[in-house]
Amino acid sequence: MSDPVAPEMVVVIDDDYAMRLSCGKILTKMGLRVETFEDGARGLTGVATAKPGMVIVDLKMPGISGMEVIARVHEIDPQIVIVVITGYATIDTAVQAIKCGAYDFLPKPFLPDELRLIVNRGLERRRLALESQRYEIEQTMLKRRFVTFVSHQLRTPLAAVHQYLDVMKHLDQAADDPARRQEWLDRCLIRIEELQNLIADWLTLAQVEGGSLFKERIPVDVIRIIRDILKTYEPAAAAGNVSLETTLPDHGVFLLGDRNCLNVLFDNLITNAIKYNKPGGKVTVSATQARGEVVIAIADTGVGIPEKYLPFLFGEFFRVKEDGLKKTAGTGLGLHISKKIVSEMGGIISVDSQAGVGSTFWVRFPAWREADEIGNQNDARQEASIDC
Amino acid sequence: MAAKVLLIDDDTDFRAAVKSLLEGHGYNVLEASSGTEGLRMVVEHKPDAILLDIMMESTVEGYGVTHSLRYRDEYAEFSHIPILMISSIEESPDERFPMSAEVEMIRPDQYLTKPLDIPKFLRLLEKAVGANKAAVV
Repeated sequence: MSDPVAPEMVVVIDDDYAMRLSCGKILTKMGLRVETFEDGARGLTGVATAKPGMVIVDLKMPGISGMEVIARVHEIDPQIVIVVITGYATIDTAVQAIKCGAYDFLPKPFLPDELRLIVNRGLERRRLALESQRYEIEQTMLKRRFVTFVSHQLRTPLAAVHQYLDVMKHLDQAADDPARRQEWLDRCLIRIEELQNLIADWLTLAQVEGGSLFKERIPVDVIRIIRDILKTYEPAAAAGNVSLETTLPDHGVFLLGDRNCLNVLFDNLITNAIKYNKPGGKVTVSATQARGEVVIAIADTGVGIPEKYLPFLFGEFFRVKEDGLKKTAGTGLGLHISKKIVSEMGGIISVDSQAGVGSTFWVRFPAWREADEIGNQNDARQEASIDC
Repeated sequence: MAAKVLLIDDDTDFRAAVKSLLEGHGYNVLEASSGTEGLRMVVEHKPDAILLDIMMESTVEGYGVTHSLRYRDEYAEFSHIPILMISSIEESPDERFPMSAEVEMIRPDQYLTKPLDIPKFLRLLEKAVGANKAAVV
């Protein structure tokens, strides 16, 4: 790949001395590097060593013909842009040259401006072609990396289980250590569960992306969903010595969406808040509705997220990599799924976090109706205007 | 004296299984859960062989450890320690760094996939430790 800072190199191959001289002058003035050759053979050697971005070649020369030069230049590098100049311009020769791979042709005699125009256009085309080639390579590499990464995530727990069982079998004399055997079997179960969670999350993500997770768009009471989820996590929170607190209205708060998706969303956010907390810590879930918007905040007093990771937090398979940080089981997909769900329902998810202090995840949705319509005290005039 | 093997892997379970296996075969096993910790332990304990996981949830991954040990001056006296790379996926450095001319610099001595084929693994490890001892003497 050529150095982006160095000016492009153009090679001119023409047996006419005057033509070489004038082309050289014009191109040099354009800020390009130029090398000129008087016949096809020398020209091709020059192209092979100079690796130009463009070759300007006369079609009619003694020795190797211009047509052959075109083919041989592209054998050296298919990305070199070739412009042919010809004194006996007929449509036929031009078409033939372009069929051979030339970019364009310039009939003699031509004006300096005509040369400049065609060179600039040709080099621009080359730049775009190289850029799109680079982009394609990058995309292919990213895809390959992604597949590798997913298979790594799937195989790791499986390999751990396999290794435990294999070592147990291999060291069968060690079977007289029942405590260790029991511990290993327990770990195997935990790792299998981890794998199942990963597959479940992976499927959820595929469903979210394929649109099949959203089955309905109905008014759903988000307070009810949150309260139900909190109830199921009471034992887990108590086990981790984490207290669950709420600032939720007594009445329902409705938004238009899919009940199952909202369950997945708040389940993810609430389990994270418990999982990444500290013993003695607190999870506070609050919800408010104002100005047509429902705002739900899930705040924890946990490990927090270092600022440098925040931009990547909602990315696929993103996990905070900090040496010395307590390893917490997780698939790296929960927040990614959450973000997709929120966006699908026309909402916004964001986070405030401070390493070591805690994180607050904010979810904002358009409300299904103004709060006053579902029995809240609000501005009566607004209600009236909505009813009109 | 028992040969010292350093096991660098972020998977606690994999380490537990391999540690028991190797201890059962008379090795002295040291553990590190990240690339950074692994490098520190290499300096501190000078192991006879290193088992190194490639993809770790750590700021320094497997290839980073290999590169440091082989080419950084502060690790010069450890550059001869044989490295057996292990991973749950078959991904050679050529695939990982497809356009890098430095791939040769991080090519491991041995490349093994998880779960380890126990007889093959023990054979390779024994060979690596033997070669290292011969090199030091």
